[in-house]
Amino acid sequence: MSTIPADDTMPEGDDFVAAEYVLGVLPEQERRDAARRIENDPAFARLVANWQLHFDPLNEQFQSTTAPSYLKGQIDQRLFGIDSGRVAAGASFWNSLAFWRTVAVAALALVVFNFAREFVHRQTGPAPTQLIASMSSDSGPLRSVAIFDDKSRKLRITLVSGDIPRDKSLELWLIAGKDAPVSLGVLASPKGTEFNVPTSIAAKLRDGTTLAISVEPVGGSPSGTPTGAVVAAGSVSSI
Amino acid sequence: MTPEGISELISRVALRDRAAFDVLYNSTSAKLFGVCLRILGNRSEAEDALQDIYVKIWNKADRFAVTDTSPISWLVAIARNHSIDVLRARKPATAELEKAVGIAEHSPDPEQSAIASGETKRINECLDQLESDRASAVRGAYLNGESYELLAIRHRVPLNTMRTWLRRSLMKLKECLER
Repeated sequence: MSTIPADDTMPEGDDFVAAEYVLGVLPEQERRDAARRIENDPAFARLVANWQLHFDPLNEQFQSTTAPSYLKGQIDQRLFGIDSGRVAAGASFWNSLAFWRTVAVAALALVVFNFAREFVHRQTGPAPTQLIASMSSDSGPLRSVAIFDDKSRKLRITLVSGDIPRDKSLELWLIAGKDAPVSLGVLASPKGTEFNVPTSIAAKLRDGTTLAISVEPVGGSPSGTPTGAVVAAGSVSSI
Repeated sequence: MTPEGISELISRVALRDRAAFDVLYNSTSAKLFGVCLRILGNRSEAEDALQDIYVKIWNKADRFAVTDTSPISWLVAIARNHSIDVLRARKPATAELEKAVGIAEHSPDPEQSAIASGETKRINECLDQLESDRASAVRGAYLNGESYELLAIRHRVPLNTMRTWLRRSLMKLKECLER
């Protein structure tokens, strides 16, 4: 190993450039030159790899943070040209972002359709078996869609955009008329959460009932009523 | 997921296995997003960077086989290098520098150093043998993507002095690490 030169002289050599590249301190042009050398100069590439091995242990200090759920769809779009290669790749149909986006658009169309139908008939047909709600807010990025199947009494909710905030939970509420909000539970994953809805609450799920999502402490509201901001809301309509 | 598991996934991605790519993304994206966020300091740039990074991973997966690094280190290096490239290409850089001078220096978190183990302990021991401002310059560069320009302003020394400092620190560091 070389000796350290007098205090005011800058040590020179490829090994320092390699270290500087790994540390990331170089200005843009010098950094680009170094990156090119890694491709074309195996000896230099080895110096870089060696420094990287020395610094790798510091990587432990980068703290993991869940990326927003829509990013993977955008990556697939760029790589494979479709939003959800996920279906082809064997991932669940229900987790497909494209599917849920379609559902969100369909839900909006349905609201218009139902309005028109009501306007024409002013009467309801046989009891609906499927209900859908598209939830959003003017002030925030969160958009969510929930589908309720009357037969199985399962309500499935997914985030179409936005994400579950770090160190918080998102809680789903049912608000029927002037009744106090009833908690349906905490969202387990932005991709999809399924709730079993008790009969007594299922009876309140019908056209016009409001579903809302609030930000709560991890695990849900401690008091049984919403304590945090409502980040999305929407009303239920039958399919 | 074990390092062997991640290695296996990267090898399958090199063979254009999209299901493996999905699993690789699910098991590693949080770590890489953490890297982007720390270096870029804002979510929207970090989100764009993460997309670019996984496109790179898909395209460069066949190169992993010829490296002798751990799979997660390989992935983090791609994420770090890309984030730093984005940072250096930012225009105008001056606004960034002014902001950086205003904010407090990231000091090494003592709790984090305490829980760090094995290899991390070794590099921290060697960093601790440097003068404290030089050790923090090295850590700040690696973990926050700080440039020579920014470090020079923060430590109130000319650019060349900063570079001399840092190179000499790297020399001492290497002697310690390879001892």
